[in-house]
Amino acid sequence: MSNHAQMWTGGRSALRPRTVAIAGSILGLLAFWCAIPPFTVRSPFVPIFIGVLAIAAGLWAVTRGTRRAGWGAIASGVIGIGLGLLATRSSSANLQVVFASDLIAQVFVFATPLTFGALGGMVSERSGVVNVGLEGMMLMGAFWGVFGADKGGNWTVGILAALLAGGFFALLHAVWSIHLRANQIVSGMAINFLALGVTGYAFEQVYGNENIPAGVSTVPNVAIPGIDHMKYLGPAIGDLNLLIWVGIAFVPLSYVILFKTPIGLRVRACGEHPRAADTVGINVYAVRYAAVITSGMLAALGGAFLSIGYGGGSFTENMTEGRGFIALAAMIFGNWRPFGAWGAALLFGFSTALAFRLPVYSGSAATLFQALPYVLTLIAVAGVIGRSTPPAADGQPYVKQ
Amino acid sequence: MSAPELENAPADSDEEVPAGFAASIGVAQRAGGLVVPVLTAVLAFLAGGIVVAVTGHNPWTAYKGIFDGAGFNWLFHIPWDTNTIHLSAFNLSQTLLITTTLILTGLAVAFPFRCGLFNIGGQGQYLVGLVVANWVGVSLAGWPTLPHVLLGIVAAAFAGAAWAGIAGFLKATTGAHEVITTIMLNWIAIWGAQYLFGQGGPLQNTQNPAAPESGTITGSAHIPVFWGSSVLQGLDYGFFIALAALVVFHFVLNRTTLGYEVRAVGFNADAAAYSGINVRNKYIQAMAIAGAFAGLAGALDMLGYLFQFGVLDVQASQIGFLGIAVALLGRNTAPGVGIAAFLFAGLLYGTTRGLNPNVFDPGLAGNLTSMIQGLIVLFVGADIFILYLWNARRKLRVQKRAEAEAAA
Amino acid sequence: MSGETVLELRGITKRYPGIVADDHVDFDLERGEVHALLGENGAGKSTLMNILYGLTKPDEGEILVAGNRVSFTSAKDAIASGIGMVHQHFMLIPVMTVAENIVLGVEPVRDGVLLDEKGADERVRELSQQFGLAVEPTALVSNITVGQQQRVEILKALYRGAEILILDEPTAVLTPQEAGELFAIVESLKADGKSIIFISHKLNEVLEIADRITVLRRGKRIDTVPRQGATEQGLAEMMVGRQVLLRVDKAPATPGEVALAVSDLQVRDDRDLDKVRGVSFDVRSGEIVAIAGVDGNGQTELIEAITGLRPAHGGTIAVGGKPVDGRLTARRMLDAGVGHIPEDRQRRGLVLEFNLAENLALRDYDTPPDSSHGWLFPKRLVERAKRLIREFDVRGGGPLTLARALSGGNQQKVVVAREVSRNPVVLIAAQPTRGLDVGAIEYVHRRLVAERDAGHAILLVSLELDEVLSLADRILVIYEGQIVGEHGAGVGEDEIGLEMLGGRRQAA
Repeated sequence: MSNHAQMWTGGRSALRPRTVAIAGSILGLLAFWCAIPPFTVRSPFVPIFIGVLAIAAGLWAVTRGTRRAGWGAIASGVIGIGLGLLATRSSSANLQVVFASDLIAQVFVFATPLTFGALGGMVSERSGVVNVGLEGMMLMGAFWGVFGADKGGNWTVGILAALLAGGFFALLHAVWSIHLRANQIVSGMAINFLALGVTGYAFEQVYGNENIPAGVSTVPNVAIPGIDHMKYLGPAIGDLNLLIWVGIAFVPLSYVILFKTPIGLRVRACGEHPRAADTVGINVYAVRYAAVITSGMLAALGGAFLSIGYGGGSFTENMTEGRGFIALAAMIFGNWRPFGAWGAALLFGFSTALAFRLPVYSGSAATLFQALPYVLTLIAVAGVIGRSTPPAADGQPYVKQ
Repeated sequence: MSAPELENAPADSDEEVPAGFAASIGVAQRAGGLVVPVLTAVLAFLAGGIVVAVTGHNPWTAYKGIFDGAGFNWLFHIPWDTNTIHLSAFNLSQTLLITTTLILTGLAVAFPFRCGLFNIGGQGQYLVGLVVANWVGVSLAGWPTLPHVLLGIVAAAFAGAAWAGIAGFLKATTGAHEVITTIMLNWIAIWGAQYLFGQGGPLQNTQNPAAPESGTITGSAHIPVFWGSSVLQGLDYGFFIALAALVVFHFVLNRTTLGYEVRAVGFNADAAAYSGINVRNKYIQAMAIAGAFAGLAGALDMLGYLFQFGVLDVQASQIGFLGIAVALLGRNTAPGVGIAAFLFAGLLYGTTRGLNPNVFDPGLAGNLTSMIQGLIVLFVGADIFILYLWNARRKLRVQKRAEAEAAA
Repeated sequence: MSGETVLELRGITKRYPGIVADDHVDFDLERGEVHALLGENGAGKSTLMNILYGLTKPDEGEILVAGNRVSFTSAKDAIASGIGMVHQHFMLIPVMTVAENIVLGVEPVRDGVLLDEKGADERVRELSQQFGLAVEPTALVSNITVGQQQRVEILKALYRGAEILILDEPTAVLTPQEAGELFAIVESLKADGKSIIFISHKLNEVLEIADRITVLRRGKRIDTVPRQGATEQGLAEMMVGRQVLLRVDKAPATPGEVALAVSDLQVRDDRDLDKVRGVSFDVRSGEIVAIAGVDGNGQTELIEAITGLRPAHGGTIAVGGKPVDGRLTARRMLDAGVGHIPEDRQRRGLVLEFNLAENLALRDYDTPPDSSHGWLFPKRLVERAKRLIREFDVRGGGPLTLARALSGGNQQKVVVAREVSRNPVVLIAAQPTRGLDVGAIEYVHRRLVAERDAGHAILLVSLELDEVLSLADRILVIYEGQIVGEHGAGVGEDEIGLEMLGGRRQAA
């Protein structure tokens, strides 16, 4: 009931402004999607028409008070029209290359570490602890995941090792932030530097100048019977890695836990008003410790995906390349909510996937396109589409009297 | 990120007022003096040594190797032989080259810290300065040295200031947290530089189209060398510019109204606003100054000894991030940053090109640096707490004494 | 009162570094009584109650509930023993609903794991009906009034089966009318057999509601008296230990020129709500004009507009006869001659990490002689500080002492010194005595009157009616962003109180 009560105290009809706004955003997406494979509509009027519907839905929602989602729908509509028109003017052959159906699979691939990271960051910040060390925890998960899979013989050992590594570094961050009350951003950055050094050192020490030997056990893909032979859906989702599905499953799971269970209520209370939680007998320290360690483990899973999931059993120094920070941005963009963060992760994943394919249009500019996710993040964080509100006590150490 | 103000919650004098971010660092500054940073560094090195030992190497020889690699051993061979043919002198000159850069990237972090901002964008700002300096250095052949170098430096500083200013502007207008925005700007700069210097990029060198490297700056844009030979990468006058920057930093902060405002905002932005200080402008100004420092670092590197830069160099460069550890260890003060920069420069050079590979594997050594860097930042975070406790007790004693005086 | 003792505190002692917060305090509570705990800030009331509620452990002494010795390690234990606490600063989470706040920690569960939202709503509804505390369970706490929030706090305690209720300064933000409603609730709780500890520093309230009164001073229990026969004067003397002037002696005002003229001012708050809706008044030199009102009726926004911290949407402000044009910034209002003692000295009045010299320069650092063309002269700052510290009798350090090291009263003196010494055209004093002990309050009041007598104009904004009635020559009552009444110095408290609530009795 909580946050929705503020926006719409009327009935339960499907015409709630927020629903309409979300529908508008989807319509905006559709305006673009109709112009690319598999639909590849060539007439510019179709994207325009659908986009206008999206904008109308957004406007309606804004006038009913749902500003953030409403403006999102309007933006979605405008961008959808723009991109849709661009697509109708591009050659059909190029479109086929860029938007081959395995693009969707690629989107999921790039979005998964971000999803894990964003969910992890969300859990930690919801309890009141800022965690910019996600990057480091993810890197730890990447290295120790492949290390565990190699030395332990099986990818499950790798996953376990990743969880332990990420959890351990998260514990470090937790002790520093909660008990020592250090500045949480400084602590998080320290974790990042440490992780870089530790993983690089260990990688050099164990594997020398060669790469991880071939044949390391990796997390399997999940072939969905029936779908994996379909022409469009097959390459799209028919054969995705297990961790991708786990990541997707965690989204509704975290939503239910955070917003529909007593545990989630208590976590959120610690993040909003820890003194209030303390006075009703909640152990704020314990809750925050648990949340931070969980966030480290989630980030580590994202890292493990990079090395033994999609990575096929490989590791390079600084493999995460800033993904932990993009995950943070996804979390902010998603307003510290699971589905919002996931949507943002998908968006960023899409931009990265696109960046790899756009060279078909222009070779040297491919490098420049790699900067796209970061530019998008910048726009998102600048609050171009609505301001984000973190949990009220986020980043403030709690002192129990 | 502040607590909700319920309508009926006045802040008592009993209640603990959440200290501003810079205030917490400020507490550390005013107490402890030199002892705490030294202790922090020692602890970090100790921890690093343990890692080395545990992984089957001799920490003593490893550190000795790094020490010699940094040229620190030169300081102990009196009378000082300044001929850089000899290894230790050469190593020291190289360390001082890197010190130049680290002083500036350290200042780029320290200055906004004093304003309550965490500038993680030093790397990107450095790259922006470096790119602009390269562009100025490659073009405009035939200019006399002084104006050519000056133009390169000034343009780079402005470019860095503008790049950092974006983050400052976003913070001032939308409240976007500078940690995220500066990190994003880092990556945009990294990819931008790779594009510019890479194959087909506008700043790629014209001699060898297969090499993803920038053009080489013309001889007129080289900053003259004063120690060592210019052929073998000697120490250039840029070093003195860095030292001057330290002085400028100190004076601006403590002797100008701008510095007063920056410090006020850093300690307590609310009180600053109440005094008519435009806090938003301060954010922009502080970030711009920071970017100028970092951009200057890029220029001094490019015009002082790099002369060109490749895509691989862009990917490998970490000098901006090291500035964070330098600033934190140096407690955001001018002398602190100077000393910490020297220390880290020695560490950096001593674990890479200066290191004898037979003594300790450079691959391991480089990562050891990262670990030590992380540990130092970690311990700085904690010692603030320890200092706060120590300070609080000391102040309570002071207060008790004051109250006793008042009652008398 | 049945005479049955439900709670007893014996010899409770709590020490902190440098002070003894509670010194062998005895306290007992009988069933169905209201026992007031009276004392100044720092007397030890809050510490005692934190101990009782399990938030702190005593160094010595024991607690007996219904005759049994108990030892609390956390609030949970205290709650289990039937003790509930309504804090002075509400422990409510604004973004959550009333029901969520009430059931937090003891949430009803369905299907084993999930939160039973509907069940929670229903139970809250039942409880609120049972005790006559009307609240809407699905409302967000940020959307309900302060009075309603307080009821939620009380329900929180009752939901957990509290038999003993601790009310910590419950009327801090209520008008006399709302306080009356609270007292009615207290009476009905009494009738239900609940026992209540009522913490306050307001003498008149305590005399109205309490059956017995215990006075604490500097951690020691001075005395416990029945309400019969207790007087305000007597209680005040016990609280302070000496004779106290409850009203400042002052000569009648002789107002001169108009120093501040506000005309049809309109200000919006951060959520774009109209907080000041067409306010007009003026302040003349040589008089103290006070704005009285319950917190949240626009005073804060009004002051922010006059001091340039918040833009006004309409209306004009003229200082010293000259209208201030264009965008009103803090800088421009300062230059125009507005001085400001902010309501939160630690957050807005001082930079605690600056020394006194730097703090005293906070308004003038960028003008000569403190600086010139952007270049600062620290020596001049120290000179000025030495002078002001002497003149205003600031104790606790010298020009180079950090402001953080001073006591609250001395910190406020620094702020007052800075503002007064600039000879502003009009001085705005917002909650100037908040958090100060009686001695410091006396000082500030005397100083303000002295400034008035010297011919300055003072605009006082205060939530303490006593202070308003004591200091003001003219009183303006603000309600919902408008001035609803103007009175001279001799007005009665009831009349003002009524106006503070819009002049009509409002059912809760």
